[in-house]
Amino acid sequence: MSQSFTQLPEELQLATSAHVKYIQSLDTRKDEYDYWLTEHLRLNGLYWGLTALHLLGHPDALPRAETIYFVLSCQHESGGFGAAPGHDAHMLSTVSAVQILATVDALDELETRGKGKAQVGQYIANLQNRETGTFAGDEWGEEDTRFLYGAFNALSLLGLLDLIDVDKAVNHIAACANFDGGYGVNPGAESHSGQIFTCVAALTIAGRQDLIDKERLGRWLSERQIAGGGLNGRPEKKEDVCYSWWVLSSLEMIGKTHWIDKDQLIAFILRCQDTEKGGISDRPGDMVDVWHTVFGVAGLSLLRYPGLQPVDEVYCMPKSTTARLLGR
Amino acid sequence: MADQGGSQHGIARTSRVRTEEQKRRDLERIAKYRELEDQVRAHIARGEYAPEVFQLTSKLLRLNPEYYTIWNVRRRCLISGSFSRPLAGSSCLKASSSTSPSATTTTSSTSCSSSSSAATRPAPGSPTAGTSGTTADPAAISTTPDAPGKEDSAATAAAAETQDLSIIKSELTFTIPLLLESPKCYWIWSYRLWILQQAIARLRPAVARRIWEEELGLASKMLGKDRRNFHAWGYRRHVVQQLESATLEGSSMVEAEFAYTDKMINTDLSNFSAWHSRSKLIPRLLDERGADDAARRAFLDKELAQIRNALNVGPEDQSLWYYHQFLILNLVAPEQHPAMTLNFTREDRVAYLTREIDEIKELLEDYDDVKLIYEGLFEYTLYLCQLEERQPDEIERADLVAWLGKLKQLDPMRNGRWADLEKEYGLKE
Repeated sequence: MSQSFTQLPEELQLATSAHVKYIQSLDTRKDEYDYWLTEHLRLNGLYWGLTALHLLGHPDALPRAETIYFVLSCQHESGGFGAAPGHDAHMLSTVSAVQILATVDALDELETRGKGKAQVGQYIANLQNRETGTFAGDEWGEEDTRFLYGAFNALSLLGLLDLIDVDKAVNHIAACANFDGGYGVNPGAESHSGQIFTCVAALTIAGRQDLIDKERLGRWLSERQIAGGGLNGRPEKKEDVCYSWWVLSSLEMIGKTHWIDKDQLIAFILRCQDTEKGGISDRPGDMVDVWHTVFGVAGLSLLRYPGLQPVDEVYCMPKSTTARLLGR
Repeated sequence: MADQGGSQHGIARTSRVRTEEQKRRDLERIAKYRELEDQVRAHIARGEYAPEVFQLTSKLLRLNPEYYTIWNVRRRCLISGSFSRPLAGSSCLKASSSTSPSATTTTSSTSCSSSSSAATRPAPGSPTAGTSGTTADPAAISTTPDAPGKEDSAATAAAAETQDLSIIKSELTFTIPLLLESPKCYWIWSYRLWILQQAIARLRPAVARRIWEEELGLASKMLGKDRRNFHAWGYRRHVVQQLESATLEGSSMVEAEFAYTDKMINTDLSNFSAWHSRSKLIPRLLDERGADDAARRAFLDKELAQIRNALNVGPEDQSLWYYHQFLILNLVAPEQHPAMTLNFTREDRVAYLTREIDEIKELLEDYDDVKLIYEGLFEYTLYLCQLEERQPDEIERADLVAWLGKLKQLDPMRNGRWADLEKEYGLKE
């Protein structure tokens, strides 16, 4: 995709302004039942929307001060964040909180108005299973490589990775590897693109890519692309825009993005847009949501679609943010 | 982050403009939902986890099973009132019973149960966490009559178990319709596992075991509805692990689980989840059978014959090829996959691999346009050279070049990969 924006045929145009408006509208839908049913995802949703806006080149489309205020209003004494005020603290919302504050360059607000960076780090570190190295999502103990990645992501952004036993966590990831080169939710589980992203990204953050069987994994990942250009999450499953991100970013991390047909994937993601009202869906013609919108846009960014800000394939955040914080 | 709850999958895009009637209905539902939510929150704010709150969580979770905080409120209700006694650290029980709190040295904290604010709850790393905390809270014990006679205490224990068993059964029943409606909702599965963990902590092993045994039926039912549901596969693995454990006075179930993969594969050859499970079970299966070299070889023969028959019917099915690759790895990477070929000589390995390559070549007679066949031939031929520590000979080289040509022609999407292979093995014409 080397053409400039305006030269692209209509079906290859990204409906940027519609997507921006769609994301801006998300917090105004209080008269819709779904708005209330999805409150347990509010902080994640803010991260998804904010990241999409930054990648679309509209970083100021959400008000910064209110964004910071909302994030801090979700924090508990423990340092962890809930999905919204009144929701229990959880790893998933805590990671989103850190990512949002990092993106709007407001991590310092944790010190001045929040419970402090160290307390956030401690909340996350306390969720590590010191015996196996993996992480729980919260005090109730569900364990999953998603939470392990979340811990690595947030703690590295905070510069607090030394609070946890990284080696043990890395050993746990190694135990999740399968003969096909992929990784599952926990040892014994089937390879799954989402979990592959979390494991490969965590190993990348830990500087332990040497543990990855790149040839075998790259081959498995590249086989996810099916007729029509979309990617699926496991063998013999349907394609889905969110896997454009999990699979593609994993391929990027192991240097094998060229093993799939990028132009066909771009066309597939663009076919999933609602060009009129904005937003991206899992497959063409389905209902849009902010989750598929961010992963669609992030996928396009990784595919060097013209006019988008570069995305960091390990963090799913603007590259400018991870460059500023981590020198990546 | 990778949480798919609440996102739209497979729902057709409709006009987002609602009629006045729809808007009115939405507002009514919102009002009802928020009223329920407000009631729960008011109780929480006062630190109340009474039966009334428990009933409210039932209503709210039926409307929204993704609401994880409400599942937590429900747990706290059970711990702080309904169960016969609080357990030290029971709010922090791990889904996995393999964890031990003794290894941790992190901050200490107060009791996990029924504190009024979630914000001050300790994490599982705290010394109160973990599954060893199965002794009764002293405060709870002090509520029983002073110095009870032996018979009294036995009767009390029996009554307590009856009470706990009834709660556990009722909770398991509560989650079934929710799981059937939202089979991919992480929070329901995780709550159910927590309840099952309570069975281990609160009931005698034989009683707890009967509860856990029924979970295999649920896993099968869920997999009957969606053969690839990885939540249900993971749940099944966890249940089996627990049923095998000493905690539940169990023993190995590897034969039964292996038979289950047979059943699933016979229903649907394309079920990679079942093939995957098979690949994980085989090493243990052979060890526990005390299989000698001959038995292991016979086992491999049977597996290869089965997958070859399947490939004859469906050579375009990735699931079958992945399993075939797993078997081939037993031949060419014995250090990682020794189960079936532990004492194979190099000659054995070469003979087996050569036969597989020949069999796959025969597939070409019926299917000359299936790219996975060419990919298999290409990969396995290189393995053969690797085993024999040599470069491809003239004929093999010509084959590799031809197969790569076919791959480029049949599968241009992955041209970047074919180009890399061409370069790596010096196959440029």
